[in-house]
Amino acid sequence: MKHIEMVIIGAGPAGISAAIEAAKSGMKVTVLDENAKTGGRIFSQLNEGLKFNDPKAHSSDFKKGTKLLTEFLANSHNINFLSNAQVIGIFPNRELAYHQNGKLFRIRYKGLIIATGAFERSVPFPGWTLPGVFTAGGTQTLIKMQGILPGKKFLLAGTGPLQLVLANQIIEAGGEVEAILEAGKTGSWYETMRAIWGNWNLLVDGLRYLNGIRKAKVPILRNHLILKASGDGQVEKAVFSKCDQDWKPIESTSQTIEVDTICLGYGFVPSVDLSRLAGCEHQFEARLGGWIPVRDTTMMTSVPHVYSVGDGSGVAGNIVAGLEGRIAGIAAAQSFGYLSQKAAKQQQSPFLNALRKLTRFRKYLDNMSVPRPGLYELANDKTLICRCEEINLRTIKKAIQEVKPENINELKRTTRAGMGHCQHKMCGHALQEIMAAQLGINPSEVGAIRPRPPIKPVPLGVFEDLERL
Amino acid sequence: MEGSRIKGKLIRGKKVDIFVDGKKITAYEGETIASALIAAGIRTLNYSSKEHHPRSLYCGIGLCYNCIMTVDGVPNIKTCQTVVKDGSIVQTQKGLGDLEVKA
Repeated sequence: MKHIEMVIIGAGPAGISAAIEAAKSGMKVTVLDENAKTGGRIFSQLNEGLKFNDPKAHSSDFKKGTKLLTEFLANSHNINFLSNAQVIGIFPNRELAYHQNGKLFRIRYKGLIIATGAFERSVPFPGWTLPGVFTAGGTQTLIKMQGILPGKKFLLAGTGPLQLVLANQIIEAGGEVEAILEAGKTGSWYETMRAIWGNWNLLVDGLRYLNGIRKAKVPILRNHLILKASGDGQVEKAVFSKCDQDWKPIESTSQTIEVDTICLGYGFVPSVDLSRLAGCEHQFEARLGGWIPVRDTTMMTSVPHVYSVGDGSGVAGNIVAGLEGRIAGIAAAQSFGYLSQKAAKQQQSPFLNALRKLTRFRKYLDNMSVPRPGLYELANDKTLICRCEEINLRTIKKAIQEVKPENINELKRTTRAGMGHCQHKMCGHALQEIMAAQLGINPSEVGAIRPRPPIKPVPLGVFEDLERL
Repeated sequence: MEGSRIKGKLIRGKKVDIFVDGKKITAYEGETIASALIAAGIRTLNYSSKEHHPRSLYCGIGLCYNCIMTVDGVPNIKTCQTVVKDGSIVQTQKGLGDLEVKA
C-alpha cells in the first residue's frame, strides 16, 4: 500500500485546477485519471496517431484546455499524474483502490479531492436501445476526437444550448440535421446563447453556430419531445410531438420523420459514486442534476479533508469547475500546513468572488433545462429501463406494486435493475423518477442507489495477487 | 453506410487492418475499434444477452458498455475506448461472450 498525503481523482478542469493550486504551495499531490491523458471530457486530447489538420480552427475550449495543461505541467515537480488509473472503490480508514493496466493498487490518503465530473442523463423511450441512437456527448466525441460522423440524416432531441453546438458540428462535418427538438421553452437566441452555462467562451463561437444552423435551414422545434425510435436492426424512423410545460407529450401532434441517427442530450448527472463511498453526506438537487455532496465554502464535504469539486458536485460547467478546484486546492494545502490561513484566504478570494458572480446567472439556466416529470413517462411496458440487465418498465412497475420496496436499493435487489455493466449510470436516475412517480412521492424520498466497489467493471484477473496489496 | 470519416478535420496516421467477423476493415492509428467500424458502416457491435437485440455505441465515453465486443479472444472489451491495433481479430459479441481458456 502506498501512503500519499494528497490524492486528486479526475484530471478534468476541476482536478487539474486543484492540483495546480496545491502544487504551487509546495504540497506534493498524486492525480489519478482513468483516461490516457489529462483534460477530462471538455479538454480531452487526441489519441496518439491523430493530429488536427488546422490548428487555427481550434475551439476556444481547446485553447483554454491547452493553457490549463501548460500550467499543470509547469508545476509537475510536485504532481504525480497516474494515467489509465481507474479508482474502483473508496474504503474505511481513508483507503482507495485503483485499477491500472491489469493490476490493482491501494493507496492510503490523508486528503482527497474528488473531481469525477458528470455523465449524460439517459432517458428511456421506446426504441432507445437501437443502434443509431447516440448520446449527444458521444456524438460530439466521435466528431471532435475521432473525425467520424456516425450518420447521414440526424435528429437531435433533448434540452439546452449544447444541442445547437452539436447541430453545427454535424452540419460542418457534412451531415444533415432534420430537426432539433428542444423539450424546454427556451427564450430568445440571445438568452439561449448567454445560457451556455460555464462556457462563456462559447459565446464567441456562438454566432458561428447560429449562423451555421440558420444557413442549413434546420428547424428548431421548442416544446417538442422524441417519443419513439424504430427500424429494422437500426434507426430508420423517429416519432416526435409537441409537449406541454411538464414535458408531457401531446400525442395528437405527433409526426414521423425518416432519419438514420438520433442524438439525445438531456443534460448531465453528477458522478457521485466515489463521494458516496467516501462517506460524504449527499442531498438531492434536481436543478444541479441529482444527488450531490453537501459542501462548505472551501468545497470540503461532510468528511474532514475530503473535498468535492466540479460537475460531480453539481453540474455547472468547466469555468465553475476550475474555480472550485482552485479553492479546494488552496484549502487542502492550508489544512496540511503548506499555507498560512491568511495566505490561503488571500489566494482564494478572487476565485470565490468569480464564483459568486457566476451563480447569479444560474437560475435562468436551471429553470430552462431541469427535466420535467413527463420526460420519464415516455417508456411503455416493454421498454427497457435498465439496458444492461434488460429490465423493462412492466417488471419494475410490478415489483413496486407487489414487493413494495421501501427504497430504490430494495427495488434494485428485487429486479436487478441497475446491477449490470454500467452500474446504474444509465438507468439510476430514471429508476428513481419512475419509482417516485409510481408511489406518488418526491424523487429524493426513494433514496440513492448505493454504489458497490468495483464501481466500474474490472477483469477478474486483477484480484489474482491480492496479497501484494 | 451511415458513418463516414470527416474530410479535412484530422490528419490520420498509419493505416492498419483489423479483422471483424473475418472481414478485413481498414482503419487508422488512433481510431477506436468502434469508430473504425462505424466509419465502415457497421453499427451492430453486439447482441444483448437476454433479448438478443442489436446494440451499438451509445455513450461514447466508456460508461454504458453498449459497444462491447470480443477482441483478440477477450470478451466485453469497450470498443469506444480501445484503439485499433494492426491485425486485431474483432468479433460481434453474442450475449456475455465466451472466454477462450488457454491450457
